[in-house]
Amino acid sequence: MDEKTSLFYEFKKGIVEENPLMKLMVGLCSALAVSNRVENGIFLGLAATFVIFFSNIIIASIRKRIPDQVRIPVFIVVIASFVTIVDLTMKAYFPAVYDRLGVWIPLIVVNCMILARAEGFAYKNPILRSALDGLGIGMGYTLVLLVMGVIRELFGTGKIVLFEKTIVTLGPVNPPLIFVMFPGAFLTFGCLMALLNRYEMSKKE
Amino acid sequence: MIERILRLGLTLLIVSIVAAVGLGLTYAVTKERIAKQKEAEEVKACIDALPEVKSPSELKEDKDLEKRMKKKVEGVMKVYTSKKGEVILVKARGYGGPINLAVGIGKDGKIQGVAVISHNETPGLGANLEKEEFLSQFKGKKNGDPLEIGKDVKPITGATVTTKAVLTDIKEALKAYSLFGR
Repeated sequence: MDEKTSLFYEFKKGIVEENPLMKLMVGLCSALAVSNRVENGIFLGLAATFVIFFSNIIIASIRKRIPDQVRIPVFIVVIASFVTIVDLTMKAYFPAVYDRLGVWIPLIVVNCMILARAEGFAYKNPILRSALDGLGIGMGYTLVLLVMGVIRELFGTGKIVLFEKTIVTLGPVNPPLIFVMFPGAFLTFGCLMALLNRYEMSKKE
Repeated sequence: MIERILRLGLTLLIVSIVAAVGLGLTYAVTKERIAKQKEAEEVKACIDALPEVKSPSELKEDKDLEKRMKKKVEGVMKVYTSKKGEVILVKARGYGGPINLAVGIGKDGKIQGVAVISHNETPGLGANLEKEEFLSQFKGKKNGDPLEIGKDVKPITGATVTTKAVLTDIKEALKAYSLFGR
């Protein structure tokens, strides 16, 4: 690894240059499924960030002791343990959100974003860098979920509800439901990608 | 060769043991709270379903009745009894997962109220099952009523699967009550 890259860059790259959803295109399935509400997006984003942060730290700290042949099973055990911790904690303290996120919390285990960072980054880098990388990637993931959640909930249901309080409303309109359903996820995501690419192309010129 | 295999196995073993201990601890810490949360949710739904019951202390879980009902009726999950009537917790498969309802049935065998415990239906469509105007139409229904869309039930627009699941729930609760209720 290039030691010249600053520590801050390790954190920042996950949000912009290597955003897991927009650039690396990993972890899309869960993102498309739960971004129908802002609240869901925030909680799944934070849950995934927690998992990726700690699994990156653990894997980076034991990487020299893990034989190459069994590294993937070790990664999975580490990741699955943190996911289960998140799962139980959310069930105990945020039952309402947990009910809505349902199967997507346990499914963080198979979110390729997390395994990709374990294999591609934490296995080759020291602890501090891996921690920052995990934090950055997690934040990047959460940010995209948040943006998609705002767009989909606002235009799909006409209002944004956060912790049982309506914070923004479009007034008495009959909004196009398609936004909160799966086709809306693909449309929103596609448009966001297009906008981002357009912006980067204009920057290059 | 043997040494290498042993090393691999041992690494996995150690990692798994550490993970298992961590998970065991988390489970022990959260177990009680999870059970409490779940029960609180159910009791709240029961009170919503039986308007005459005012405080949780009036309700009692009846494990024995529950066992007998479960044997005969598929969707029954739990039964709470009180002096004012019974609340049967039922579960049926909706569009996005199970729909859990609490159906409050009075001494006369008529539904006093229906409350939603949990569901995972599409927001804006099936999720409208929580609305008062949908749930209140089941008040006064009893076993033997047709409970059919278009006949005596006004469905949720655009959510036939959800409506049917709710009807299944309610029919099963009524059936269980008519078989064993007092």
